[in-house]
Amino acid sequence: MSPGLSLADARARLPVLVAVEAEPAEEARLLERLCDWCSRFTPLAALDGADGLILDISGVAHLFEGEAALVEDCLKRLAAQGIAAVAGVAGNPRAAWALARFSSQKIAPEILSDKAFAKLFHDLPLAALGLDDKTVADMARAGLRLIGDIALRPRAPITARFGAVPIGRLDALKGLERSSIAPRFMPPDFCAERRFASPIETLEAIEATLRKLADDLVVLLERQAKGARRIELSLYRVDGDVRRIRVGASRPLNEARAIARLFAERLASPHEDAIDAGFGVDLMRLSCLAAEPLAPSQVELDRAHEAERARALADLIDRLSARLGARAVTRRTLVEAHLPEQAEAAAPATLGEARTRGDATLLPHSPSRDGRLSTPYAGEGVRRSRSDEGERGVPARPLRLFVRPEPIEAVAEVPDGPPLRFRWRRVLHDVAAIEGPERIAAPWWRRPDAPTRDYFRAEDSQGRRFWLYREGLWGRETLRAKWFVHGVFG
Amino acid sequence: MSPSGSAEGMARLRRAVAGIEAGAGLSERAPRRLKLARALDSALGGGLADDALHEIAPAEPADEAAAMGFALALAARFLSQRPSAGLVIGEGFAAHETGALYGPGLIAHGLTLSRLVFVEAPDADAAFWAMEEALKSGGPAAVIGEIWNLRGYSLAASRRLLLAARKGRTPALLVLASAYGQAERMSSAAETRFEIAALPSARIPAAAGRDLPGPFACGARLVKARLTVFVDAVDSPSKDGRPSGRPMDRVRAQRARLHDAAHAVRLEWRSENLAFHEDLAFDDPPISLSLAAASGDGPRPASQPR
Repeated sequence: MSPGLSLADARARLPVLVAVEAEPAEEARLLERLCDWCSRFTPLAALDGADGLILDISGVAHLFEGEAALVEDCLKRLAAQGIAAVAGVAGNPRAAWALARFSSQKIAPEILSDKAFAKLFHDLPLAALGLDDKTVADMARAGLRLIGDIALRPRAPITARFGAVPIGRLDALKGLERSSIAPRFMPPDFCAERRFASPIETLEAIEATLRKLADDLVVLLERQAKGARRIELSLYRVDGDVRRIRVGASRPLNEARAIARLFAERLASPHEDAIDAGFGVDLMRLSCLAAEPLAPSQVELDRAHEAERARALADLIDRLSARLGARAVTRRTLVEAHLPEQAEAAAPATLGEARTRGDATLLPHSPSRDGRLSTPYAGEGVRRSRSDEGERGVPARPLRLFVRPEPIEAVAEVPDGPPLRFRWRRVLHDVAAIEGPERIAAPWWRRPDAPTRDYFRAEDSQGRRFWLYREGLWGRETLRAKWFVHGVFG
Repeated sequence: MSPSGSAEGMARLRRAVAGIEAGAGLSERAPRRLKLARALDSALGGGLADDALHEIAPAEPADEAAAMGFALALAARFLSQRPSAGLVIGEGFAAHETGALYGPGLIAHGLTLSRLVFVEAPDADAAFWAMEEALKSGGPAAVIGEIWNLRGYSLAASRRLLLAARKGRTPALLVLASAYGQAERMSSAAETRFEIAALPSARIPAAAGRDLPGPFACGARLVKARLTVFVDAVDSPSKDGRPSGRPMDRVRAQRARLHDAAHAVRLEWRSENLAFHEDLAFDDPPISLSLAAASGDGPRPASQPR
């Protein structure tokens, strides 16, 4: 039984065969999960194709008492999860791949002489170089079947006939070419971990360990005078599940208590599933994913009080973000956009003070000296000067904007005029005062057929103010204009 | 007991509570008071305390936007006093139901967008928790909460918020969005409670057609004011603990005015000055600043080139 066999043939050979639909997406997910789990051995774990993982265990093996013991431990744990796996260890990813898949000797000696290399690899089929099927078939037609067949021949003719790939792969196998892997997670700048001989199960034990890990991490951070901005806690369960919990801080943190408190907040959050230790957690790791130099903490005396408040605010934002989720605690900025619904953008407040673009220029200015407006409006005919408009011309925008504009029934005197009355949420509003239209066109370079909107600021007889718009220019874009209420003013 | 006797009893109890709280280190300093409007300040004892809980309820369901507009106007005034940021806490679903607070609109209302942090809580309990945390931390310059689901809002919950506000010396503005018409019936520990109704704005005569709407205006009714001014007035002149009669009369007069149902003060918000403009006959007619926006050609960019 081998891959590529048709189902009928396979059934003929083994009548009791059970056939199941392949689910590549599920398999990929399982592989990713395994990859995450493998980061218990090394932070540098990468996916390899659809059915393999590559771990960079340089400088890690001694923690597990050698490569052989590491492989044994890994395979045993995988088997416990019901996964059959083979592993190969070699000085470079290509060689390890070849050994794992094609060789009977799985672990290459650390120092590989030419002789040992020949013994180990020359008898392997060319497919062990990771060549595609067509190249392998072509080379087989030329009588080249084993790695030894090309390793012992002059390189130029092979390159001329089969391209640069086979020889390149051979060099990679020998370790002559520098090869790297693309790990699924970047190794953290700082990390602290605890392994448990017997898995821990209670939340108290996990929290106690978290505090110790935070202490360890802070020691590491302090050596470089840095503070953590993003921190991740990984819990490796005995059954192979890995739970990662991330928190962000809006200022570099280097206090163990503050870090532990953020995680406590996060774990108490309604969004976060309770920690399910399952059969126990046998490895906990606290990694600092992003660190920043600590801001100098010395402050001038007279500003100490305000600095204290700013610090309290930053801590508060972190705590709220940890509990409610970073997306729930935001700062907003204005965006240069024509459509009102795109005129602002929200960013998680943990990212720090939002860059304010245009905000300052739009701000209403400080009161004039007499506390009143200095620009009188004398009915029609008075045009306000440009600079005046720039300073004070805050566009009339509603306090609240509906996520989706709500359709209304409106009655207007003329099809392209302002509405006389409208019905919104089953209530009829008589328009007593109205300002408009303010014409806002959709970006034609993106959506050429989007209708133009005419916005009106309408106040009903009871003083409630609405931001209405008519979609479509009457006579040009539509003959039956639709009306919407897009927002309400305070 | 005669009315004055019960008032004396109240005064004694209040002083006792103040003594306990002072012992707990809660009221180490007198609150700074934020002036609001001449018509309201006397009843508030000089203005809104910056370390207390203030409730704002709409008069009718449709007045919720006006109540929020009033709360945000107060927030803008509080924010102008301190360099820190303000926190706006709301329930997540409200954005879909009533519209989400809109940045350009907040700027037009007189707020600075970079000095606001928006918190979207999954439910009312989480929103109250966030408010309490924010107040206790003492970080924000003001905490504005807009809560629709008031089932969990009890005397105890409001007391927690009040104590948190005292501890962090941060003003709390709580918009009781669904408590329309209940402003007088509710009982809570809040220091003040306003009932807000939308009022027609001062119209601007137009060249042709209908008038133009003016700036945000609302009718504010001070339904409740815990008269800290009362305790102060009684405490300061008398060393022996016996209250003198004169401040008491003043307080009673104020109280009578406060509970006068017709006594809604018309306030007009001037976002340029960050001040309320009282409706007094001799003042200038209001000026719409958005006229330029309406008469300008085409859409407006988010920021104005100088």
